[in-house]
Amino acid sequence: MCMRFKLPNVTEMNDWIAIGALALVGVLIPLGMMAVSYLLRPSVPETSKRATYESGEIPTGDTRVRFNIQYYMVALLFLIFDIETVLLFPWAVVYLDAVESDAVSLLEILGPMVLFVTILLVGLAWAWRKGAVQWAQTPRQVETEHNRP
Amino acid sequence: MSGATATPSLFPLQNGGDPVLLPEHITELTGLDQFGLAGELLATFVAAFIVGNFILAMTGVAGPWAKRKITASFTDRIAVNHLGPGGIGIIIADAVRLLAKENIIPENVDRPAYDLAPIVIAGSAMLGFAVIPMGSGIHLADPEVGLAFVFAVAGIASIGLVMAGYASGNKYSLLGGLRAVAQNVAYEIPLVVTGMSVVLFAGSLQMSTIVDAQQQTLFTIPGLEWAVPAWFALVNPFAFVLFLIANFAEVGRNPFDMPEAPAELIAGYQTEYSSVYFVLVYLGEFLHIFLGGAIIATIFLGGPAGPGPDELGILWFTLKIWGVFFLTQWLRSAVPRVRIDQLIEIGWKGLLVLSFANLGLTAAIVGVIA
Repeated sequence: MCMRFKLPNVTEMNDWIAIGALALVGVLIPLGMMAVSYLLRPSVPETSKRATYESGEIPTGDTRVRFNIQYYMVALLFLIFDIETVLLFPWAVVYLDAVESDAVSLLEILGPMVLFVTILLVGLAWAWRKGAVQWAQTPRQVETEHNRP
Repeated sequence: MSGATATPSLFPLQNGGDPVLLPEHITELTGLDQFGLAGELLATFVAAFIVGNFILAMTGVAGPWAKRKITASFTDRIAVNHLGPGGIGIIIADAVRLLAKENIIPENVDRPAYDLAPIVIAGSAMLGFAVIPMGSGIHLADPEVGLAFVFAVAGIASIGLVMAGYASGNKYSLLGGLRAVAQNVAYEIPLVVTGMSVVLFAGSLQMSTIVDAQQQTLFTIPGLEWAVPAWFALVNPFAFVLFLIANFAEVGRNPFDMPEAPAELIAGYQTEYSSVYFVLVYLGEFLHIFLGGAIIATIFLGGPAGPGPDELGILWFTLKIWGVFFLTQWLRSAVPRVRIDQLIEIGWKGLLVLSFANLGLTAAIVGVIA
């Protein structure tokens, strides 16, 4: 059998072809279920039925409500620490080999990473003191907290 | 790559000619290799379909039946018992009932995102199973970045939750979606950092290498001649407990089921979903519990390892992930829910610091021993 095209390094690719196949299956199964449901289900359109659910009451106000600033703070912190974990991964992978190789001392392998993590933990301590990892409360909430028996 | 072969093949079988992964097994069994690349692609797709349906079957048993039965036993009730032995027939009845419900789409939804979110939530969890070695040759793919891949894919669910929460056009959904993401991001870092302490032992992110590294004997019980395997849960119990807690928060199970706290937010991000959309969101949650269980089983409990021949691997693996599932249901009955402010504090002040302490300590111990 003569193949006209040449695949780039197939040995490394077949894992990702299999993963791609499962991704396809992961989309096709939900779509299949939707199709089955489409054939089975009734459709009885009524306007009141399609109202936004708010415990059976008529919905009040806009959907895009103001929410706690805390979500934003947490997202910011996450960004920093998530990038940190990305940088930690290569170090964790080579760590065992580096320790066993005798070419470098333990201090040389461990030291820089301890320093790097320490800098970030100092950042966390600062955020902690600033109250970024404390759930933000309105003055009234703080007051009720104090007056609680 | 040197030594060009006559016909290009997806599986050159370089490990002594024995098939290792599921697509290779299927190619061998069915003789699809005669058809060249097209046959192998078909075998790969069949393998993916088998894996997908296997986990779907497990969630199918867990969602409508096992969950009810377990909770009922804890609260001294009977639960479903009418259809079939032990009420197991409820699975089929519930599937038909839920799929045949009218799909009510509220008037304020953002259409494309609202429809896509259930697919993203269910599909992302299913994709994570691609790199999990389930034993008995059921292992779809084994890339070198296995562990990083599975964390990355599990993280996609956050996007699905935001889509569902925001596109529903309901303030409770919005708050539920926000809580879900705040929780996921807060516990993702302890989860990944604790997972990394396993990588320090194994020296690789590849799932098969991590499982192999746990097959050595940790110690032998004197007198009984029982070899205790070096499962990372036994080597580093501290990391195991941290990972378990972070995992429960990550999949949004009790005591961390804030995003859908029914007393506060109706049903969180899934409030406006009905019919098949609800099934998919619900299914996605169960898939995520099982994906979390699969990660725990693989990196802490020796993967498919267990007594008996290797062919029993899938049995042990299934038993292990059901053990994790049982634990989630146990906690659901036994532990009260934390508040959103406690949730953030436990994550950022407790688990994060402890996970870094664990990483440093593990690195020091590995450094001294090796």
